[in-house]
Amino acid sequence: MNTPLINRRQFIQIIALSSAGWPVLGKAEKLILGQDTNNAYKNLSDPWLSIAEVQEHLFPADDDSPGAKDINALLFLRNMLDTPDIDSEEKAFIIQGVDWLNDLSVKNHKVSFINLDSDKKEIVLRQIESSRAGSRWLSLMMGYLIESLLSDPVYGGNKDAKGWSWLEHIPGFPTPTTEQVYFKLGQKSSANTRRRTKA
Amino acid sequence: MSKDYDVCVVGSGAGAGPVISELSKQGKSVLVLEKGPWLTEEDYTKDEMACCRRSTYTPDLEDEQHVLEEETSNGKWVSEPTLESGWDFWNGNVVGGASNFMSGYFYRIKPKDFRLLSEFGPIKGANIVDWPISYEDMEPYFTKAETEIGISGKITPHKHQEPRSTKDFPFPPTSEHPIVTKIDKACNELNITSLATPRAILSKPSNGRNSCEYSGYCGSYGCHSGAKGSSRAALLDAAVLTGNCEIRANSKVYKLKSNSKGQVIEALYYDTNNKPQSVSAKIFVVACHAIETSRLLLASNGPKHPHGLGNNYSQLGKNLLFSAGGSGTGEFHYSEMDKLTANAMKTRGPFVNRGVQDWYYFNDKEFGGHTKGGVIDFLLRHPNPISKAMSVKWDDNDNLNWGKNLKRDLKTVFTESQDLRFEVFNDWLPTDNCFVSLDSNTRDKWGSAVAKVRLGYHEHDLKVGKFLSEKAENVMRQMGAKNIRSSVSGSPPANLVAGGCRFGNDIKTSVLDADCKVHDVENLYVTDGSFMPTGGSVPYTWTIYANSFRVADIIKKRV
Repeated sequence: MNTPLINRRQFIQIIALSSAGWPVLGKAEKLILGQDTNNAYKNLSDPWLSIAEVQEHLFPADDDSPGAKDINALLFLRNMLDTPDIDSEEKAFIIQGVDWLNDLSVKNHKVSFINLDSDKKEIVLRQIESSRAGSRWLSLMMGYLIESLLSDPVYGGNKDAKGWSWLEHIPGFPTPTTEQVYFKLGQKSSANTRRRTKA
Repeated sequence: MSKDYDVCVVGSGAGAGPVISELSKQGKSVLVLEKGPWLTEEDYTKDEMACCRRSTYTPDLEDEQHVLEEETSNGKWVSEPTLESGWDFWNGNVVGGASNFMSGYFYRIKPKDFRLLSEFGPIKGANIVDWPISYEDMEPYFTKAETEIGISGKITPHKHQEPRSTKDFPFPPTSEHPIVTKIDKACNELNITSLATPRAILSKPSNGRNSCEYSGYCGSYGCHSGAKGSSRAALLDAAVLTGNCEIRANSKVYKLKSNSKGQVIEALYYDTNNKPQSVSAKIFVVACHAIETSRLLLASNGPKHPHGLGNNYSQLGKNLLFSAGGSGTGEFHYSEMDKLTANAMKTRGPFVNRGVQDWYYFNDKEFGGHTKGGVIDFLLRHPNPISKAMSVKWDDNDNLNWGKNLKRDLKTVFTESQDLRFEVFNDWLPTDNCFVSLDSNTRDKWGSAVAKVRLGYHEHDLKVGKFLSEKAENVMRQMGAKNIRSSVSGSPPANLVAGGCRFGNDIKTSVLDADCKVHDVENLYVTDGSFMPTGGSVPYTWTIYANSFRVADIIKKRV
């Protein structure tokens, strides 16, 4: 794993100093594991609308390769942010970054991020990257994107194993079921300790 | 007064398993207190998110962490909690411990490793000593581990082959990747002996365990088939079946309570609901990973042991060892091969079972003559796709890589070459700057002081590591690898730790006696890697298993 440019505590301090206030978060949505029964890209509103656009810019579809939407990167991210052990500060930070992104777009280009053309999107994102907190935000977005490309499809990304097949990756077996995702392994184990006593 | 159990064991990994299994089989009542959960073969899948991207098998750093102390360039020691640095120092905190997640390269240490000081003399700044026992004392237990744990391999005679009481391994080698013919050929041309690497992985079913399924995902993953010789698969499952062994998972021991005679009377622990509990036993065995074992004993002060159990001469936690050395990579590009060879190189599943021990000892003027060296192991780049992709997340200028450039780089790392790696293992010399203490400013979720680890190394380790690394690079070059690079540093591998409670004959310079009993505590043994005063130049697990079988025989005679 790459060494973070700044450590976690420093980053939280920076955010605490720079933010005008934390966004109010909606209550945890239901995780959609395995099949995406509810199209994750249907009827989007912010912050997810902007995040989906950012993801597609960072990981665009091409003739011979999938893009963020093809692999369901948004569903993966939303699932991850709803896992029980998500760092709540990180979650708030990711969502707060969307306001920041749109503020900058409006300030410099008069329109919100989704209405920018590809060149301007690139300019805005590279501008965001130039600040430490901005770089941290984009680094998180990239981290989740890469995970959504190559993690087991059970987590909601890597739709139809498109990431694996594009990169000719051979997965290992057995793969996890919806009951074996990492955050359920932890829960299960602490809830039922398997104790055996002397015969 | 009657005790709850004959023996109470803290921890359930490689150092604990043999004691647990041997004493249960003998009919003693054994209680195992394991901090982590009890996951079984059904729980272990090839899920990179679970094994390697999230803290699934290790504690959340918010709950439990370490404080690591490193030397800055101006010679000052600076400490930083791992929650802040993100440098996770945990291994496997589950039933069976980190042995669940090992790659299982199994080597015996050699006769001269037991007498490093006598054989090679002192090195300034290093606390080198001879062991209080010899290779001959340990040999029967290395052999026992071969059948009990299930070690697959094949003996190839070579100049540094250690003596054996049996002719060969009980299991033939695991299946081999086509790349080994290239390694063998290059070694042969360079007049180097290429050795089949013994592995704690079953090549044939044994004792109700399946043989390897060759998924290609082994190290860092829990084993689904039962082939990997984890303490859980090889020892604990059978121990539980005797009816004499009880394993309490999610039970975190925070103190061993001792009486005015200095004997341990109770283990105090937090149960799965974080409620404090206690249990008594005739004999206590601590084997919860080198760093945590020192931490627990340091926290266990009592009337006869005001500074922690076994610390009356300030030896506890001292002379901690990691494994020195480094690693390197070379690329084999498919575009330079015919299709058949390229397809063979892309094979996923079988092992690269090759290592070199030609320089386990060597003569070199630069090193002042007869010198202790180490081993070289070859392996494929880990197949974990997310971690592979993360290697191109940043570009050469430390900018985030995205868009078309990222996609091009991903395609390159995934589809253009097979990457062969090597790892070098040599002695991490014990020094005064590598030790465990308690950090009372940083506490775990139960309020106990966490372990603070000073991570100093000896320059000599780097010199030997670089020497071996050059030899490994020569093999890569002879094989025709491209873009060969390697790195040898003093950065400690968190998964290869030993020492801290070294054994010896003198209470003033050691924590344990030759039996691995704490010198001045009648009923307390330590059986993980903590006992090692010097590490040998191989991964520690086989030595830990063997020593635990040895100590089990000693305890058997007592209870």
